[in-house]
Amino acid sequence: MPPGTLLRGKWHGKTYRLEKLIGLGANGQVYLATSNGYKCAVKLGLDAADLQGEANILAALDHAEKKRRPFLLDVDDALIGGREVPFYIMRFVPGVPVNAFLQKHGAQWVGVVGYRLLERLVQLHEAGWVFGDIKSDNVLVGEYGKLELVDYGGMSAIGRSVRQFTEIYDRGYWSAGGRTADAAYDWFSVGMLWLHALDRKRLLHLTKTLLPQNRNPEELMKLVRSNSRLKPLESWLEKAFSGRFEDTRDAAKQWREAVQHPQKSKSQASGQVPVWMASLFAAAVVLSLSVAAVWLFQ
Amino acid sequence: MKQILLITDGGSNVGDSPVVAAAQAYAEGITVNVAGIVDEGTIGEYGATEIAEIAKAGGGISRIVTSGQLSRTVQMMTRQTIAGSIRQAVNQELRQLFGVENVGALPPTKRSEVVKVMEEMEETMSLSVALLIDASASMKPKLHAVEEAIRDLTLSLQAREGKSQVAVFHYPGNSMDEICVLDSEWTTYASKIGTLFGKIRMKGTTPTGPAILQAVDYIRETCGNISSEPMDARQSSARSVSNGVRSDYVV
Repeated sequence: MPPGTLLRGKWHGKTYRLEKLIGLGANGQVYLATSNGYKCAVKLGLDAADLQGEANILAALDHAEKKRRPFLLDVDDALIGGREVPFYIMRFVPGVPVNAFLQKHGAQWVGVVGYRLLERLVQLHEAGWVFGDIKSDNVLVGEYGKLELVDYGGMSAIGRSVRQFTEIYDRGYWSAGGRTADAAYDWFSVGMLWLHALDRKRLLHLTKTLLPQNRNPEELMKLVRSNSRLKPLESWLEKAFSGRFEDTRDAAKQWREAVQHPQKSKSQASGQVPVWMASLFAAAVVLSLSVAAVWLFQ
Repeated sequence: MKQILLITDGGSNVGDSPVVAAAQAYAEGITVNVAGIVDEGTIGEYGATEIAEIAKAGGGISRIVTSGQLSRTVQMMTRQTIAGSIRQAVNQELRQLFGVENVGALPPTKRSEVVKVMEEMEETMSLSVALLIDASASMKPKLHAVEEAIRDLTLSLQAREGKSQVAVFHYPGNSMDEICVLDSEWTTYASKIGTLFGKIRMKGTTPTGPAILQAVDYIRETCGNISSEPMDARQSSARSVSNGVRSDYVV
């Protein structure tokens, strides 16, 4: 829909001006819009019941987290080109997907962003929800690693089935468990988020070459162990892939420890003699031996 | 709710018409969905038309996809069919009780309440899906993808709160009078589905129609008498709106 298109709500009478397309989903489009000079996000859909289902989740979340500003601002229908189009309005969340953020600002931000993500999940999990569809596009990072989750279409009550997921972030896809919503489902996807962010090429290569029956967390851990940026997170990721945290608070605590005290891997490295030093030593030995030989045979 | 999910790569060539068989299934309260696999080349106009017709007669959805997309497609079709039939039933009630055309015609606050009920039903209603796999010669390279899709679907259904079960058939059978073979009886757990198509001797014939009828027999015998679901019974009297509604969610 062209920028400048006006949506006039049939039920609540508010008007929104579409400014820019910012997202395309399976069941609709998300636009940046303005209303009375304020920025907001509009999701336009094809099916009223479908869209209402998503709006219900946001409303439930707003209800559970009354202290912060609400996500859901309006639900209505508008007449566009003679067709009635259902839509809902959300608070505009600034920020860029986590992968884009790391590409721009560097991998040293992984620690902070990862910690904020787990803290956000602590809130959701303790309120009885699982986010479900954790992936780069749904984790928006703003200034100094401030973070907000967007697209709550996958959010599911704990104990229910996960409503929406993305294959390579999915625990079931990697034969690491089922698709029943529990905290561990999100831990797994968070692990995949970092694998995807820090070792994208090898992960995608793995998904293309591995036979379905061989997909398992051990294959993922092989990537982790052979990547210098993931190696310090090895024990955290192993627990994330096998669901072995006590709860999400514990996962956040262990994350902080893993990213703040990566001494283990550093001290291991300093215990070993660097390759260049060893080869220099070998060269020196060879040189002195040959000098000795020349001297002997003279 | 009962569904048959047919996975095939082309037209039937033996026995009763699969379109008539699917219509019979639908008349007995079983929805028929069809996934057509096309990898190299095309599925052919005849095959594509037949796939669409089978789904239409069976009250379901059809999709033509590559084997790489099969897992996702199968899940999506199964979910949409559940959601679609609940939506149909709910719209029916809304028409009779409030005189509105569908959920979308309600004001957003009321809509919100109705959608909550619909989602509750989607999650909790019991579901039986009989998978019917075309194992004629040309399907051989695709059977790995099919097995993977079956496992993946079962894993998703297993997570639902309502009772879910899956059975698997392939056709043609091993002899002339065996139309199709039951590979896995009703099961809820993905782990219980062993290797499915290890020892199949691929044959050329594709008796899709007779195979559908046999799956219907199996469902009737194992799930007790299927009373047509109320929405199916009423559908005929409900003008022809139901068609319009159905195509609404089949995007």
